[in-house]
Amino acid sequence: MSPSQSLAPRQPASLETVHNILGSLVARYRQEEVLTAVRQIPAREAKFRPIPGWVTSALAEAYRAKGIQELYSHQAATAELVQDGKNVVVVTPTASGKTLCYNLPVLNEVLENPDTRALYLFPTKALAQDQLAELQDLGTRLDDSFGVFTYDGDTPSDARKSIRERGHIVLTNPDMLHTGILPHHTKWMRLFENLRYIVLDELHTYRGVFGSHLANVLRRLKRVAKFHGSDPQFVCCSATIANPGELASQLIEKDVEVVEENGAPAGEKLFVFYNPPMVNRYLGIRRSYINEATRVAKEILARNLQTIVFANSRLHTEVILTYLQQANPSKPGQPEPIRGYRGGYLPGERREIERGLRDGRILGVVATNALELGIDVGSLDTCVMAGYPGTIASTWQRAGRAGRRTGSSCAVFVASSAPLDQFIVQHPEYFFGSSPEHAHIQPDNLEILVNHLKCAAFELPISPDERFGNVNLPELCEQLGEAGFLHQSGGDWHWIDEAYPADTISLRSVTSDNFVIIDTTGEDRGKPEVIGEVDFSSALTTVHPKATYIHQGQQYHVEHLDFDKRKAYVKPVDVDYYTDAIRYTQVRVLEVAEEQAFAGPAARVHGDVLVRSQVVGFKKIKFFTNENVGSGKLELPENEMHTTSFWLTLGHTLLAELPFSLSERQSGIFGLLYALGSVATLLMMCDRRDLGTAVGERPPSAASDINWEDFAGPANSSEAKEFFEPNLYIYDAYPGGIGFSEPLYRSCTTLLNRTLELINACPCENGCPSCVGPTADHSERTKEVALQILGRLCKDTQFMATRTAETA
Amino acid sequence: MSMRYVSLRALQRFPSARSGTPESRRHPPLPNDDGGLLSPTRTIRIDPERLAQILGATTKTNQYGDYLSVRCWCAQPPRYSPDSRALKLLSPEAPDQIADPDQWLFLDTETTGLAGGSGTYAFLVGIAWWEDGGLEIEQFFLREYSEERSLLSALRERIAEHPVVVTFNGKSFDWPLLETRYRMSRKISVPTPRAHLDFLHSARNLWRLRLGSVRLSELERHVLGWDRGADLLSGVIPQIYFDYLRGGSPERLVPVLNHNQMDLRGLAALSSRILSLLSDAETLGQDGLELFGVSRICEKRGEHTRARSLYEKSIASILPSETDRVARRSLARLAKREGDFELACELWKDAIGNSRHGYEAYEQLAIYYEHKVRNPDQARQIVQQGLNELRRAIQAGDIAPGPYREIKAKFDYRMERLERKSKRPLWDALALQPQA
Repeated sequence: MSPSQSLAPRQPASLETVHNILGSLVARYRQEEVLTAVRQIPAREAKFRPIPGWVTSALAEAYRAKGIQELYSHQAATAELVQDGKNVVVVTPTASGKTLCYNLPVLNEVLENPDTRALYLFPTKALAQDQLAELQDLGTRLDDSFGVFTYDGDTPSDARKSIRERGHIVLTNPDMLHTGILPHHTKWMRLFENLRYIVLDELHTYRGVFGSHLANVLRRLKRVAKFHGSDPQFVCCSATIANPGELASQLIEKDVEVVEENGAPAGEKLFVFYNPPMVNRYLGIRRSYINEATRVAKEILARNLQTIVFANSRLHTEVILTYLQQANPSKPGQPEPIRGYRGGYLPGERREIERGLRDGRILGVVATNALELGIDVGSLDTCVMAGYPGTIASTWQRAGRAGRRTGSSCAVFVASSAPLDQFIVQHPEYFFGSSPEHAHIQPDNLEILVNHLKCAAFELPISPDERFGNVNLPELCEQLGEAGFLHQSGGDWHWIDEAYPADTISLRSVTSDNFVIIDTTGEDRGKPEVIGEVDFSSALTTVHPKATYIHQGQQYHVEHLDFDKRKAYVKPVDVDYYTDAIRYTQVRVLEVAEEQAFAGPAARVHGDVLVRSQVVGFKKIKFFTNENVGSGKLELPENEMHTTSFWLTLGHTLLAELPFSLSERQSGIFGLLYALGSVATLLMMCDRRDLGTAVGERPPSAASDINWEDFAGPANSSEAKEFFEPNLYIYDAYPGGIGFSEPLYRSCTTLLNRTLELINACPCENGCPSCVGPTADHSERTKEVALQILGRLCKDTQFMATRTAETA
Repeated sequence: MSMRYVSLRALQRFPSARSGTPESRRHPPLPNDDGGLLSPTRTIRIDPERLAQILGATTKTNQYGDYLSVRCWCAQPPRYSPDSRALKLLSPEAPDQIADPDQWLFLDTETTGLAGGSGTYAFLVGIAWWEDGGLEIEQFFLREYSEERSLLSALRERIAEHPVVVTFNGKSFDWPLLETRYRMSRKISVPTPRAHLDFLHSARNLWRLRLGSVRLSELERHVLGWDRGADLLSGVIPQIYFDYLRGGSPERLVPVLNHNQMDLRGLAALSSRILSLLSDAETLGQDGLELFGVSRICEKRGEHTRARSLYEKSIASILPSETDRVARRSLARLAKREGDFELACELWKDAIGNSRHGYEAYEQLAIYYEHKVRNPDQARQIVQQGLNELRRAIQAGDIAPGPYREIKAKFDYRMERLERKSKRPLWDALALQPQA
């Protein structure tokens, strides 16, 4: 792809221009407080290699006709490794020509041996569509000598048969592979008998729950391929993360070669961090980041620079779009210069916007992460990010949307007041240093693995000497046999159930146990309507009786929750409050996997825990003012979950030495955990909901059964209780654990130091949502206590000595 | 994490709120011979000889091992030999390939599920062929999944002996499932029948209008006048087999085998009935609906003359009003195609009125007057009648607003065009393509 060629000539972004714009915007404030980082990233020269000699002349010619005379060094290196039969992961920033890395060796093999088949997996349907266009273009240049098709939920059923037979390259997504292809593998004989390559694009998106599922889907895929006599090779592409090789080899369970050097050229780039100015220093309140991002974008657009604005939700996309369209009205007879782009837009509309961006007819676009991954929109002049995208990898991908191979570009990150945003904006060196982000998965999470084992048994009987992850397979099959899912015959385990197991297993959540939400409005007419589903773990907090459930902007009142039948009955209402469940969580340690004392009386631990939680009531909270306008009690069943956890134990002497009152110490501990939880999500590249936090007491004290509300402090001091030796738990919020606990244990020092930096750098007086949590919930000295505890934990020299080894 | 703390949700069965498989549909635990309850873990393997005895089966052996075969012969239904007229309607491309009924193999499977996919097994494969004037039935029963290869191999041999496979809905269900089983076996290649006749579509044409459903047992009752007596609901069959595999009593399999046997006999009898109707509906058709069904098949196969005469016959006998309308409409279509506008107009004139077909008749008449008679005024009159009828119907509440708007727009457009045409006939005749 060479998008820069198709762009209409426009004035390139001048770094001076952007400098001036930002300078004038922040003139009223102390510039270093608002523009916390202004980095100029120098241009990078291309490193070329010739197209390898083994590439058939027809293919080389087709690429030359597209204007590709030579390969970038990373493309050549990857292609060579693939040609040598290696499994490869190539780390590629945006617009570095990654598709060529896999298309070149795959197409070469297809052209030389027309029986060859390849399966490309993309995390979304849209990406597969985008790649289809690229491959079809090559196809026409090569006299249509190979078949390439997408196969997903949108594929018409009459086309499916010919795809199975004639598709040399099939582009699909993990969900479709899981439910649509593997259970019907006998219909895909041609593909599986000749499967040479599996391409995993956007590898870094396969982390946490989704990645753990994918690893198991790939286990099934390899079994099925083996049955049909093939042993495919893997080619993976990832954005920049700290452990691409580790993630790839965990996913595919094979040795992987990593290609990290990038030979693609890049123009010079200005990267600016923008922290909205404080309006109330005491409460830590800043100006709205949405408004600030809009102001920045407006000024840049006014200079006629093609700009993409990213927001983190659909709602914010629409808000920013409205402001920017008002500021840039369309001229008569001209298309709308500013467009929105998000999930929910029709495919035709999206294609039109993509085209408009490529050929320069559209000046600005406001998008969600729908435009973050590889969709080809050409390269723009500037990128404004309203809010931190959640990970460093995503931030670079979004920033990469602006940037040509020649000429300069600019990216502006506008921070919200969320702890993560504040940490990043105040610690630019964390962001600009080498990527500390590790993607973690736990393919042997039993809950996930057993579900895929069922699917595997449906696909092919399981032989007792097979391996499926690192578990005792005969024992598990025995259990599935007892539960009535499997039956042993002739040594092998066969599926015996009428149900089709893949149908009930979603790759995006751990268990398939769901509550359905039923709108009873139409009941009189005999038409109650199912409006949605919530998974088991969040059902009790979101659809408990009397809860206000919000679905597509409409509020519903939960009239009745039928726990046994997994149904919640709701009616639409219009009220000015939402409900927030009061949940008590108690963590009990089942088994310690590793423990290490440090800082004298403190210890870091990870292991298995039992998390019990119960929703005991709810608060009604008024919109906008966040006033508490009422509450209620609830009697709901207790929920138990076995999972893994990382925790810190604070020794009694450590706390006793602190010069604070009991309730201040209490509050400090909760504040500390709040901040630790935020930083943990940063280190684990995960969502806030993936980690639960709770405070408990170190066993074996009999009095350890204390219930505390989830990461909010005690509501009033009368509840304060002396913790003799508190445990600060950060647990995986999924049954069976999803692989965060051990990595957190290993990076404990980083976690503590980063948390210290986060709280230290926060300019609020006594704590705010950006550091230890909002002051309203805490004592006034929360921040001080948390800092003192951290100070003691971090100064332990012996522990510090191991730091480099851990984080390396 | 270690297994011992884990109470896996994946191991539990949840009431599925979505699909709604109520617990009551599952079978209660079965009492075993001692009268006690069987726990799923207590797998009692039944003595093979006793099983064979209960099922009335013999154990056979081939190169892949043992399999169970149950044989029986029935005088009912009697052998039927189709004539060439019927065969041509059934398989217009290659009627000769299916001409010899002694090469037919009726086939019906009982499976462990309806969803398909590689984890669904055919645990009972019933086949039947004509012998000694009646039907010889053989059923292969899968005692254990491990015996699948010997069963598939035996079936393959039978298909080689009788290469025309005959099924009811086998093209979309039984056959693809068996293909999957052969591929899963990895040893035995998929048999290649000379032809596959699936009678579901013919049965639909013939009886769906009368019966609503074309389930095999319904057709037996209403078309053949058979009574199955106590028969299983096919939904419970997989569970009976699973219970047997887990050590449940094999006696409960007997009704499953009977059910399959009845399906095969029903299929054979029904195919004979369908073929005789295709051959001579004119005298054998029991009612207008059957005549109507055969005419539809004839029309589809391009045998327009026979179709027309059968439509006429079916209208002459008594048809339910809705079918009568459809038959008249089809007859009008055929008459129009053959240029018999006299008959077509008569049918259209009878049909006009407040119904979808009625409005279509106004339209057809208008087209006829405009393009054949070349009398736009007459065409306008008929469109005006249609519009009047529409206005009456909407005022009386006899038509829903949706269809009203749709038809009204169509008529208004036609009217407008006709008005223009009667003003400038020459220009319009040049500018507009005939609509017919």
